[in-house]
Amino acid sequence: MRSNVQRGKNRKFGGRVGSTIAEKILGAHSGGGTVTAGQVVVARVDFAMVHDARAANALKVIGRVGAKSLPFVTKTALVLDHYSPPPNAEAANTHSAMRAFAGEHGAVLYDVGDGICHQVLPEGGHLTCGDLVVGTDTHSTTYGAFNAFGTGVEGTDVSAVMMTGKLWFRVPESIRVELRGGLQPGVWAKDVTLHMLGRLGAEGANYRVIEYCGSAVKAMDIDDRMTLSNHAAELGAKAAILEADEKTFAWLKAHGARAPVPTAADADARYVERIELDAARLPPQVARRHQIDDVAGVAEVKGQKIDVALIGTCTNGRLDDIRQAAAILKGRRIAKGVRMIVTPASRRVYLDAAREGLIEALTMAGASVAAAGCGTCVSLTGHLITGDGEVVISSANRNFKGRLGNPDSEIWIGSAATVASSALTGYITDPRTVQGGEWRPKS
Amino acid sequence: MKIRGRARLLPADVNTDIHCSSKYLPGKDNAYVAQHAFEQVAPGFASRLKPGDIIVAGRNIGINSSREQTVHIMRMMGAAAIICPAFGRQFFRNAINNGLPAIECDISGIAEGEEVEIDFSAGSVVAAACGVIRHVPPLPREIQAILAADGLIAFLQNHPNWELA
Repeated sequence: MRSNVQRGKNRKFGGRVGSTIAEKILGAHSGGGTVTAGQVVVARVDFAMVHDARAANALKVIGRVGAKSLPFVTKTALVLDHYSPPPNAEAANTHSAMRAFAGEHGAVLYDVGDGICHQVLPEGGHLTCGDLVVGTDTHSTTYGAFNAFGTGVEGTDVSAVMMTGKLWFRVPESIRVELRGGLQPGVWAKDVTLHMLGRLGAEGANYRVIEYCGSAVKAMDIDDRMTLSNHAAELGAKAAILEADEKTFAWLKAHGARAPVPTAADADARYVERIELDAARLPPQVARRHQIDDVAGVAEVKGQKIDVALIGTCTNGRLDDIRQAAAILKGRRIAKGVRMIVTPASRRVYLDAAREGLIEALTMAGASVAAAGCGTCVSLTGHLITGDGEVVISSANRNFKGRLGNPDSEIWIGSAATVASSALTGYITDPRTVQGGEWRPKS
Repeated sequence: MKIRGRARLLPADVNTDIHCSSKYLPGKDNAYVAQHAFEQVAPGFASRLKPGDIIVAGRNIGINSSREQTVHIMRMMGAAAIICPAFGRQFFRNAINNGLPAIECDISGIAEGEEVEIDFSAGSVVAAACGVIRHVPPLPREIQAILAADGLIAFLQNHPNWELA
């Protein structure tokens, strides 16, 4: 803290102050000069995304503008994921309008079953390190896992991007979070975020960018890093950006992304807050019913019965999440009376899981696998309404009362490993206490 | 630029998707939502708000995924501006993009129905009857230009390269 005061003084007398990742990316996209928190800039956007829950609004705005003035539409993806598959004619008609728009103007289209926007954008090679990416979804922070500034916007914003390739931004302040040491087996990025939510509160990082760094972040695979950036949306973060390393470059190259422009913070960058976490001491975490920042250790809620176990969503529906579940459930049966549904984050994740035999293992264990999409997150597709008094354990990101279509049911949130362990026993269960719960990806 | 109107108060942490959009009212149009806007968190708000009034909201108005529709409805109701100590991020964007001046300002002491004057060039918010005089930083010129054009799309139709005066 003292050093921040010192920097402020230096600055007053004309001394230079270092930049955060967010300041560097926004600066590089708005003329190349130095920009600082609080300033408003007009910045060049590298890629934009509109999903089906917001497309109607965006297409209405675009309709008013007129079709000829959309030179940047080819750098925009339309993703049909929230209503995948559509539960009613209204959603189906929105899908038809999106397909027609993409066909007419040359926007990129991801159709029903292709996957969740935040999974298909990186998989499709649409973004790289140092990029500025916007999407009509609060979880557009996910792109930060690839060292890109990803943030959520609305229909007018993406329309402006399609028209001009640019958008205005208020340069945000940043919080630096260092995860020291290494996470225990059975503890994941999900648990880190839930801990942060318990500590800062939902919206505790409103307007701010979180920079996650440290040895525990470096040790994470890309799947888990995406959870870290994605789930920062629940903290209210405008973006959550990680530094790039060899794992990032290899992943981006394998998915056909443009050449990376890796962007790191300066050692003397200014942060509004610095947080250090001893990763090794963190046990699996759970958010209790209705409130994402009502967080406890999984061990503390031992004995809480469950009826439904869900693995999926843009937060935790990736291959490593499905691997965690299969490591725990292969050759076993989920508890009697428990329903378990898995929605892979994308068609590729689904295929990879099938090729590895994970879909078979989970199906044999009693789980059902649904089409890739946002299905397990919110009751929009209508295939997942909960009964009165039912308790859900989910790897999703939000647990507002009624989110799964019934305000008389409740949703608890944990990692995929916690969800699978709980499905096995019928009670919320610490993955460190079940066979297979210690599984980790080989790095 | 100056705006003068009566204060219409909203509490803190209002989720505008729930209280002023049709997210949970499928098929209902803006006029319907406007009649019932914020009823659960500020009973009578919709009938109190008259064209030219200023919404004075507690912190975090429009937290989470605030829909743009909320600002369309506020403008339809005639709100001239909104003051709040800390806006939900997306709400702030939506307000500016749709031509609703949004001023970040401490609202303590401002009472329901009292006259508030916002002076954009002087950078002040004054509610004389409540003894409130607050200084606010002037809006950045990019934002002033968008508001002057009555919203982002209208601004871009006249300034396709974002050129500012």
